[in-house]
Amino acid sequence: MTTYLIRRILLLFPTLLGITLLTFLLIRLSPGNAALLRGGGGESGGRAMTAEVREQMIRLYGLDKPPLVAYADWVGRSVRLDLGNSIVDHRSVAAKIGERLPLTMSLAGSALLISYLVAIPLGVAAALKRGQVVDRTISFVVFVLYSIPSFAAALLLILLVAGGDYLNLLPMYGANSINAPEMGPLAWLWDRVLHMILPVICLTYASLASISRYARVSMLEALGQDFVRTARAKGLPERLVIFRHALRNALIPIITIFALELPVVIGGAVIIESIFSLPGMGQLMFQSLDAKDEPVIMGITVLAAVMTLLSYLAADILYVVVDPRITYE
Amino acid sequence: MNIPHETGNETYAQRIRRHFMADSFARNGLRVIIALFIVAALAPFLANSHAIVRVADGRVTFPIFPSLEPIEWRFLLYVPMAALVYFLRAGFLRRPKFHFLFLIALIALIEVVLAVTHPVNDPTNDRNRAASFKLMPPIPYSPIESTPDQFSPPSWKHPCGTDSTGRDIAARLLHGARTSLSIGFVAQSIALLVGVTLGGLAGYYRGWLDIGVCRFIEIMDCFPPLLLILVAISLFESQNNMFYIMAVIGLTSWTGLARLVRGEFLRLSSQPFPQAAQALGASDFRVIVRHLLPNALGPILVSATFGVASAILIESSLSFLGFGMQAPTPSWGDVLSDARRYIDFAWWLAFFPGLAILMTIMSYNFVGEGLRDAVDPRLKVK
Repeated sequence: MTTYLIRRILLLFPTLLGITLLTFLLIRLSPGNAALLRGGGGESGGRAMTAEVREQMIRLYGLDKPPLVAYADWVGRSVRLDLGNSIVDHRSVAAKIGERLPLTMSLAGSALLISYLVAIPLGVAAALKRGQVVDRTISFVVFVLYSIPSFAAALLLILLVAGGDYLNLLPMYGANSINAPEMGPLAWLWDRVLHMILPVICLTYASLASISRYARVSMLEALGQDFVRTARAKGLPERLVIFRHALRNALIPIITIFALELPVVIGGAVIIESIFSLPGMGQLMFQSLDAKDEPVIMGITVLAAVMTLLSYLAADILYVVVDPRITYE
Repeated sequence: MNIPHETGNETYAQRIRRHFMADSFARNGLRVIIALFIVAALAPFLANSHAIVRVADGRVTFPIFPSLEPIEWRFLLYVPMAALVYFLRAGFLRRPKFHFLFLIALIALIEVVLAVTHPVNDPTNDRNRAASFKLMPPIPYSPIESTPDQFSPPSWKHPCGTDSTGRDIAARLLHGARTSLSIGFVAQSIALLVGVTLGGLAGYYRGWLDIGVCRFIEIMDCFPPLLLILVAISLFESQNNMFYIMAVIGLTSWTGLARLVRGEFLRLSSQPFPQAAQALGASDFRVIVRHLLPNALGPILVSATFGVASAILIESSLSFLGFGMQAPTPSWGDVLSDARRYIDFAWWLAFFPGLAILMTIMSYNFVGEGLRDAVDPRLKVK
């Protein structure tokens, strides 16, 4: 196991290099650069810059170096955990990402948690009533949910319950009300929760669909196993057979899906944040893509890739932890 | 579900067809997709500001035809292709794989050649022109034509309402069907080409090639969904024509197929039949294309069907975020993104395109599920 882990962790680095190199080359090969965008004024909204200042800026951020040299520089700084400064406002990339990460993570985390809490009972119910009306209804509804694009659902939800012509129950935009800074801590928290309800719902239902399908299949598999028959044969009440024997074993594969769903939910959060104007990672990414803010784009890519790689690794480790029968030798 | 019993000697394709058609969801999904393709093909005749037939001053004219852009001829080319498929169907059933691949290549060719053109805003319309007889299309508005009726809710005149510049939503959706369907199809064909080639080579030759391909797949997979696409599209924004979007979506979504083909090839190439072919002196190319690929075709087709659904979803997300097709070209995601600004009252701007996307994706997913069950009944989750 230790050898396996060490090998897996060592393999993370070449993958990470590949991802960052690909992103870096994409940024560098695309026309224009951040200094030109800022200096040009006009559409990009920047102040006009003198040629001298622009030259200085290009040199400062190494925009004049050949792509591979600049990439090597970037890697050299990054291994010392220095992601550089944003070209747009000269603040450190780590700080810019740090102030946005909590919102995105809390959004993705609560969406995943809620999908699990709803999806497992749904999947188990469908498996227990296999082939009956309950099963077919759940499967169909889940399938329809799975096919609804989250952005369309978000728009219709805003229209129906948030500030549209119909119900006006929830706030429409933003992470907090305008007067949030003056609120007490409890009122602030409640305000935040109200603002998060719709975004979380939109993020939840898609992963809910895939998790409940997994839950159903895995529960069906568990119910067909010998130990379930044994449990029934020795006269255990059906409740115990299902919850103590079948469900516990069915949960093994479902738990590990957590790690695979996390990147998907974070990816979905990008769109949802943009619809609800939430100041999270997604918004930061759109801003930096617009301004070609190379250090920030690279920082976000690294963070996203590291999180994805670690969650895949976590999935593999979780397998062993929850199921002692599996070993990596 | 009642699957009709096997009758006599049936081919693999016939067996898949029998199982597929026994699944009502899959069958109806396929019907919806075919209907969508027909609507997309005929879009200029269903929604156009030019009359189909116009009789004035004793002269009969067909104003609709001169108004067609090259991009609109594209889908019309599908009609002779459908006829071709119909007449060749005997050959299809006998050797499904090659005709199928040929067909995909042909459609992809048509798409790629014609994808780079943009619709031109043609201000003339025949609605108000006097004529002794004229036959207008059912929706007499062009998708890029602004009318004075702004924000009109659904009515007889505008069945799906109009947007902020008075464009008819029904016309935009009908024409947008072409954007979505062709991007889904071509993007997935590109993914199919890359995925099958890389996965096949890795699975057949193994060794260093396999390790290299696997690492590459891993790198591509570690980008969170949409991140790589957004970076590629937003940075090259000046080149956002349809083909570029198709290429970006295709080149970022081949990894699942490559994994699948690699796995199938690893499994198949250790079986006796490819070894027998090799012993008879068949070249590697022949073993791959004639012996291994046909045997892996079922799962590939299933995965490609789901892939089309996700490509359509990605395209509409991109248009929604404003990174998709350029302004005048109608697309479902684009109509939805207009809806964002006026969402507090204009429900029809969000509802109809949302429904169109939902229906399309759901149909593709149903067809994919049906195909999966038909290709390998053992996988079926009862």
